[in-house]
Amino acid sequence: MISGRLTLVTDSRKTIVVTGVGVVSPYGLGVDCLQAGMFSGKCCLAPTNDFYPGFVGSTAQVSGLPPLQNEFGFRYSRSDRLAMVAARDAVGNLDYESNALRGSGVFMASTVAGLSEIDPEIAENPSAWYQRGGLARAASYPPARVADAVGEYLGVRGPRCAISAACASSAMAIALAANMLLDGAAPMMLAGGSDALCPFTLSGFNSLQALDPDPCRPFDRNRKGLNLGEGAAVFVLETLERAEARNANVLAVLRGWAMTNDAFHSTAPQTEGNGLADCMRLAMEMAEVSGDNIGYVNAHGTGTPLNDVAETSAYETAFRERKRPIPVSSTKSYFGHCLGAAGALEAVIAIIAVRCGALLPTLRLADPIESPSVDWLRGKVLRQEVPLAMSVSAGFGGSNAALIFGNGQFGSGRG
Amino acid sequence: MTPTLAAITGIGSVSPYGPLAGLIPPCALEPEAITAWPTSGLRRAFLVKPFRPASVVPGLKTRRLDRLSAWAMVASSLAIQDAGIDLSQEDRSRVAVVFGTGLGCAELTEAFFHSAAAHGWSATDPSPFPEGLANAPASHVALWHEARGPNVTVGCKGFAGESALIQAASLLRHGLADLAIVLAGDTLTRAVYDWYEVAGLLSPSCFNSEPLADGSGFVPSEGVAALVLEPTGRREVRAYAHFSSGRWSADGEAVETIRQMLGGSVPSITICASNGAPCATSSTSALAGEISGTSSGIVPAQAAAAGLTDTSALLHLILALSGQPPSGQALLLGTSGENGFAALLLELP
Repeated sequence: MISGRLTLVTDSRKTIVVTGVGVVSPYGLGVDCLQAGMFSGKCCLAPTNDFYPGFVGSTAQVSGLPPLQNEFGFRYSRSDRLAMVAARDAVGNLDYESNALRGSGVFMASTVAGLSEIDPEIAENPSAWYQRGGLARAASYPPARVADAVGEYLGVRGPRCAISAACASSAMAIALAANMLLDGAAPMMLAGGSDALCPFTLSGFNSLQALDPDPCRPFDRNRKGLNLGEGAAVFVLETLERAEARNANVLAVLRGWAMTNDAFHSTAPQTEGNGLADCMRLAMEMAEVSGDNIGYVNAHGTGTPLNDVAETSAYETAFRERKRPIPVSSTKSYFGHCLGAAGALEAVIAIIAVRCGALLPTLRLADPIESPSVDWLRGKVLRQEVPLAMSVSAGFGGSNAALIFGNGQFGSGRG
Repeated sequence: MTPTLAAITGIGSVSPYGPLAGLIPPCALEPEAITAWPTSGLRRAFLVKPFRPASVVPGLKTRRLDRLSAWAMVASSLAIQDAGIDLSQEDRSRVAVVFGTGLGCAELTEAFFHSAAAHGWSATDPSPFPEGLANAPASHVALWHEARGPNVTVGCKGFAGESALIQAASLLRHGLADLAIVLAGDTLTRAVYDWYEVAGLLSPSCFNSEPLADGSGFVPSEGVAALVLEPTGRREVRAYAHFSSGRWSADGEAVETIRQMLGGSVPSITICASNGAPCATSSTSALAGEISGTSSGIVPAQAAAAGLTDTSALLHLILALSGQPPSGQALLLGTSGENGFAALLLELP
């Protein structure tokens, strides 16, 4: 299964590894389901008109969300539920009552959180809406509620926190969780993101004229915008030292991470993609690798006119020294943009690339943006060794994040 | 002794005391009547008086922004000014912004719902949507100061200020930034206030003109506090305090965790930073007593806040520092009234 050969010589106390991954996606529950669906080339984007009168577009929805076990009496939003199911999937057969899980932390990203529970009537007379049953629904509004829901559900009682950086949120949640582990603030961290489809975000992106009514075409010259999807992905992160001590199965190594901001515009990316390029460079510096070592980039690739041009420029800058064009694809072409969950879901796909040596193409990429530095993956799944894969995220407010994953091959010299 | 990590070299705030750089002169406040939205009878809170941001920070443009974003830009500018930092001399790609908030941009989120109620979801006003995202204040701070380092917004039930400070110190510690602008705050809106009221969480002092009284409930507040955090010794400047370490937990073993962080030492002062809800105030005091083994040296939340009973931990910290506490180790302590806690270990010069 693991095929890469970039040996990692490292200090196990300072090496962050992934020992669990949980996913709820439009393909269903679990990584295997996601992997099988994507490898088959199935696109989950479908015409939708049931979110509010007048909305016509393509979305990717999660159907058949499994019921929660041992549910508490709280009212959970759909984002909470997606997160809880993904987190349960991530921890697998970890002992719920073990000290490790109890003292661990939860960093969860969400842009929607409980907004899906709130009706527009709240704006006219909040008090009346609360008295009609909205009080409990509004309690799920704070962004931190998703992390709390996961923590309460699994009995995880360490630091809990929401990470908000728009569409880069869950990639940042993973990066910040890694920092917390290095600080010794928790033995393990659950980190990821969750977002549900709801009228608030569909209407918001529609009002910005950012939606493509048809399935999106990231990096295509005829792209017209993005589609929204929903889902959740949660990682179990810990130090290699700790994972080895409990004989945990190491799924991947988080080799590098970085976060930057464009400081350019509140919604538009910096035209030349400099902030994003810096972010990728910094992540490679942390991983102590060059662009030649990166075998695949899972792009942010929303399909909006501005993002995809800036992002392409960023690859040209970040991988300028690379000998061959960098293989890049946007998997938002399969299940849309899952907002706060996007970074974590796409990080899962980067790990799949490393573990399976399989590069997923961008769907519907007929006429790609010209770039001498980028090898746009399209057509069939490409099979080749991927020692390291990078997942790139960006978001409103100029947020950028990059994560680099490697396989679990360790050199004999590790500490 | 836990190693010192980072120095707090600048302070700025936008609070019911007004927009201020540096420490806050001691002055007791009373809640004010809410007039910004229709209320059924007297409703009071600690409110930020309206002001023109550009009159405090020349050139600042805040039209169409959530007040939280505007206040964050003002507070961060005041903190940087107070720190004596010329950002043009800094590597802006190494300047981080970390913002802690409980509810984010509630004002523009409500405006977007208003637009949906008035025109339907298919014809909403686009402007409040991106500006209502929780990370909008942090991104505007970055935009205004051209801070291109990590830009993080953390949301945390009751401990947003503490978690922001801990995350910022972590970024410095791991070499991911040279300088961090740390902020925390929230705005009070009609939907937020009404939620507290319908949930039965408000103090009787919210409904009458009587002086603040201990009792059931709390008086909501609003504002943004900002700190400049940099590695100790990076510049030859005075520091208000040095941040050593911090822990927070949603439902953890507070005493054991905090004692572990303290490494056997007992802080000379414990500053209680919980909100004014009686359960949180009493549980914080009890925890402070248990940690320090004595009731002396404990600064209760409400006294520290000079009347502000619900505000971010960073403002509690600023107010506590404004009281010119003795030098030595200080613990900033908060509890959620449930089992959650946050503890920041500081060295006061």
